[in-house]
Amino acid sequence: MARWRVGVDSGGTFTDVCLFDEEEGRVEVWKVSSTPDDPSRGIAQGVEEGMRRVAPDAAQPGAPVAYFGHGTTVATNALIQHRGVRTGLVTTDGFRDLLEIGRQKRPDLYDMQADKPPTLVSRDLRQEVPERVRHDGRIDLPLDEARMRAAAKALKEAGVKAIAVSFLYGFIRSEHEKRAVEILREEMPDVFISAGHEIAPEFREFERLSTVVLNAYLGPVMRNYIERLTPRLRDLGMTATPHLTQSNGGVIGFGTAAEMPVRAVLSGPSTGVVGAQAIGAVAGFEDLITFDMGGTSTDVALLNGGYCKLTSEAMVHGYPIKAPMLDIHTVGAGGGSIAYIDGGGLLKVGPRSCGADPGPVCYDRGNAEPATTDANVVLQTLNPEYLLGGRMKVRQDLAKHAIGRLAQQLGLGVMETAQGIISVVTANMARAIRVISVQRGHDPRDYTLMAFGGAGPLHAARLARELDMRRVLVPPYPGILCAMGLLLTDLRADFAATKLLPATADSVGEVAAAFDGLASRAAEWFAQEHIAAADRHLTRTADMRYAGQNYELAVPLPDGPVTAATISALAEGFADAHRQRYGFVAEGEPVQLVTLRLEATGRVRKAELKSYPDAGPDASGAVIGEREVWFPEAGAFVRTPIYGRDKLAPGNAFTGPAIVEQMDTTTVVLPGMHARVDSYLNLILEVAA
Amino acid sequence: MNDAPATHAPVLDPITVEVIGAALSSIVEETGEALIRASYSTNIKERRDCSTALFDTAGNTLCQAEHIPIHLGSFIGIVPHILKLHRVEDMRPGDVFVGNDAYEGGGTHLPDIVLAEPIFVDGRIAAWTVNLAHHSDFADRGHAHIYQEGLRIPPVRLYRAGELQKDVLDLILLNCQVPRERLSDLRAQMAANRVGVQRFQALCAKYGTAVVMAAGAALLDYAERKMRAGIAAIPDGSWTFEDVFESTEVTQQLPLKVRVTVQGDTMSLHFDAPDQLRAGLNMTWTALAATAYYVVKSVVDPTILPNAGLARPLTVTAREGSVLNCVHPAAVNGRVQTCQRVSDLIIGALAQAVPDRVTACSNSVCTVATFIGQRPEDGAIWVYLETMGGGGGARATKDGLDGVHVHVTNTSNLPVEALETEYPLTLLRYELVEESGGVGTYRGGMGLRRVYRADQDCRVRVDVSRLSSRSWGLLGGGAGGHGAVECGPGVVFDKDNAVLKAGQWFAVVSPGAGGYGPPEKRDRAAVARDLAEGVIGEGTAREVYGYTA
Repeated sequence: MARWRVGVDSGGTFTDVCLFDEEEGRVEVWKVSSTPDDPSRGIAQGVEEGMRRVAPDAAQPGAPVAYFGHGTTVATNALIQHRGVRTGLVTTDGFRDLLEIGRQKRPDLYDMQADKPPTLVSRDLRQEVPERVRHDGRIDLPLDEARMRAAAKALKEAGVKAIAVSFLYGFIRSEHEKRAVEILREEMPDVFISAGHEIAPEFREFERLSTVVLNAYLGPVMRNYIERLTPRLRDLGMTATPHLTQSNGGVIGFGTAAEMPVRAVLSGPSTGVVGAQAIGAVAGFEDLITFDMGGTSTDVALLNGGYCKLTSEAMVHGYPIKAPMLDIHTVGAGGGSIAYIDGGGLLKVGPRSCGADPGPVCYDRGNAEPATTDANVVLQTLNPEYLLGGRMKVRQDLAKHAIGRLAQQLGLGVMETAQGIISVVTANMARAIRVISVQRGHDPRDYTLMAFGGAGPLHAARLARELDMRRVLVPPYPGILCAMGLLLTDLRADFAATKLLPATADSVGEVAAAFDGLASRAAEWFAQEHIAAADRHLTRTADMRYAGQNYELAVPLPDGPVTAATISALAEGFADAHRQRYGFVAEGEPVQLVTLRLEATGRVRKAELKSYPDAGPDASGAVIGEREVWFPEAGAFVRTPIYGRDKLAPGNAFTGPAIVEQMDTTTVVLPGMHARVDSYLNLILEVAA
Repeated sequence: MNDAPATHAPVLDPITVEVIGAALSSIVEETGEALIRASYSTNIKERRDCSTALFDTAGNTLCQAEHIPIHLGSFIGIVPHILKLHRVEDMRPGDVFVGNDAYEGGGTHLPDIVLAEPIFVDGRIAAWTVNLAHHSDFADRGHAHIYQEGLRIPPVRLYRAGELQKDVLDLILLNCQVPRERLSDLRAQMAANRVGVQRFQALCAKYGTAVVMAAGAALLDYAERKMRAGIAAIPDGSWTFEDVFESTEVTQQLPLKVRVTVQGDTMSLHFDAPDQLRAGLNMTWTALAATAYYVVKSVVDPTILPNAGLARPLTVTAREGSVLNCVHPAAVNGRVQTCQRVSDLIIGALAQAVPDRVTACSNSVCTVATFIGQRPEDGAIWVYLETMGGGGGARATKDGLDGVHVHVTNTSNLPVEALETEYPLTLLRYELVEESGGVGTYRGGMGLRRVYRADQDCRVRVDVSRLSSRSWGLLGGGAGGHGAVECGPGVVFDKDNAVLKAGQWFAVVSPGAGGYGPPEKRDRAAVARDLAEGVIGEGTAREVYGYTA
């Protein structure tokens, strides 16, 4: 009976629900408006409506749900809007201001008016306690328990709702932090407490402190959210355990998620990457660059051999976070980004955005500054009369007028200027992709560009050309790929131990012991998540560097028990990685192991994408019309066929120029590009060899 | 640097220029990242005291990564000096020049070692990739003249057609106190240049060398146009401002003065200063120019591209042989202290023209602590250098930033957990200095205090300023707190350095910054918050702000 797998992506504007029928392999989609004051309402509504449509006969709408996966922006939004709780902090004596000082750099090199993001714990709520652990684990000064208790009482008095505890070297020896947490719990049993050794047990005290504070600050928000959502789902008759995506692309149970909100700040975009990964694997493309372009921002990520690299640290909305996150790079440019001419006479696009409201000029809702979407409407790459499959009328004349004003200032024609806006956007996107590809030693020409999000497929062909990439893949539902990704992902948790060791045979014992420790933590987690032994999978890596460097390269461990051969394989792997990244190997220099990592994956039954029979190359049946589209290659409008995405069948093939329209996006096929539909209904664009 | 103003229209359309501009920025960012990640010394890998840039064949900066503004001063002289000393026709792909000298190498002080490599495209030099790393070496030296300050390296080949010149390297390393770190950081600098060469060549292959070079020229014109437009928006006039400079090294107050004149779309800055000193505080003209470019860009329009075009509407002068335009053999090691004071001097003059765009005086120095010792196990010398932030000046509509790097420097601190692991030092406290931000409608930023304990015998040198003077407030705002050195029992500070025995402690305090506007106009809630957070005491709240809880 329970045969539906449900994925819900709760965004700022819409809540997307993707429903997958395990028996028939059918995918259904439902969209409702989000309810930002209490997102759980919109989610419950979306699930209820979606399920009633696909399973009208069920006694309760949630009963046929076999699996529930969820990506949320609750943590991100609370962070962006600074709507976490009143938080206290306990630090080693002498270091309460570290949270504010950070790395002592100013927020902008030249702009003297720029500000740092607000400090999340005010100075009067930052308590210092005498204690000192040394870098080698010695204790210089035991924890002053009387002072610790006084600090706890002071924070209680101040009415904090969450407390972060982070001492120097707490990741090397945690007993002081543990004792501090005990005392805090004795004084305040109901307060949310986060400690450094639990949340981010890694080197660099400021970044660790920032992570622990964020976790405390967001903790009650996430806990409250989960406590509201859980009964709503239960009331729908759902018995499946709800899961939530983390920034690392894996999903975890609600219980763990409530304790570690800092690990969910990239919950939304990471599901898109996971969806892209699954679709790429089925379509036979494992080396992918994802291009998720929305209204105000764009997320890009690189998948090598089907996997996106994890970073262990990133800046998120101005705050450093040490947590496993997919290496996703975000730029503040999208369909709503505004084009303007700056003081020096150059055309710029973004980062200012017109948002969904008032939206671009062509929406005719009062905005007069042209956005990227307006350029597409003028070029007629976007339908010049209506968008969203006919649901929204647009005013091309207004867009043209607005771009005309820029054109006059530039001394260019209107069409050249509109195309110029696209070129500038493309260059910005190309730069974002260079960050995750060439800057990490990967050549984008070896990758397929997977375009999704509302505006991705519209710009993908030009972007691919800019980067000399030969292939673009547009999945069947580019607008809801994130929700779909939730149905395609395994459970996943990451465990790490910082352990500074020489990469020599002498370290075999300690490395083996460290991985044993991580493995037993993973086993505990597997048990919690009810993962059967056959579905458990472990991957081990070591972060390595030359002794003296402070940035590490991740090197995978070969399978099997840790022996001297394992260590020498690691050393060779490190030399290769270093050569690839920096172009040299420092012969004879000692190599160190720094952090040992274990990634635990619990395989769950996932949605399987269905393949369809080949319908032959003739795509003429999918042509729904034609219109004049401006192509700079021709320097003129070109009569261009318009294909309906829902009418394209596997095997269908055609050559650009062409436009493919569907409800949630529009795909541009450039002149000379070959397009074909694969058996999973992916649209594949290729540059002629 | 003052070429004739560009009057010709750009040859390329503005879109191609923008696209190639983005590519050049991406190249210098990428080279910077390679340098930091591959390096060994704490000064580069954690504190990021390094910069990268691309230059055209005439030695104009095409693009500089957003690292450290003063490094531009070392960059702008290097390519012209190489061209003066070496014949272009003798240069080969894979040649790498190394240099650091303030008088024969275009540098601004000796620890900033520059590696410059010509980028060949189709057999000709199309551009230069250049990077600079502040090598934490040449410590515990004299500063009577430059010969005491370290090894002077004119631009010479470190690599000839890809072949390491081991004799040159050996000569350099023998003159360094921590040769292993120097070698490793030089390798990282090589890795960075390699990235620069490859990426620039790929860009030329894509667009054609002529287009890239034309776009480079157009980007210089573009920066110039933006600078001119920004200056033209400032009313014409001439403003002077005076301040003094004193430090641990030179305790008497030196008078410094600037006259800033805006005429149409040009600006000139003329500085008066005493004769150059037998101390390391002198600035070469390139350091003065880089400082002026930084401040003017920041005040006029922070978004102007950091390339040589922005300098064209500016004239920067000071008497030769003075502290602010020194000549051989003046010592220059501590020039960044003076650069910071000069930055605020210019701001003080511009405050009279555009008070909304500037800040009150920042902490106005770059506080430096340099430790040197010998490891008991093998006798190897260790050198640890760190710079400290301080108060940022209050702004027309908001408080100054607390405990940040200002103006021509912007280096990170070293994590305590790295500091204590790598060196025999313990950091006992790292905190904001209460009451150090100048009072005002908007409060000046607070200074920092770092308290160190030596775990082995070593020697420390400290550069800090505002010992007798204070950072000025603006339009009724109060002055910032003093800089200071605090000594634990048994520690004797002699002028600017001290011997520390194992177990002894001492502290460095960086100055606070000036406030903006009269304190009585400060928002009551802000005063209450400052009081609650201990940023000000009850006395200040009551007596200065007239506030009682």
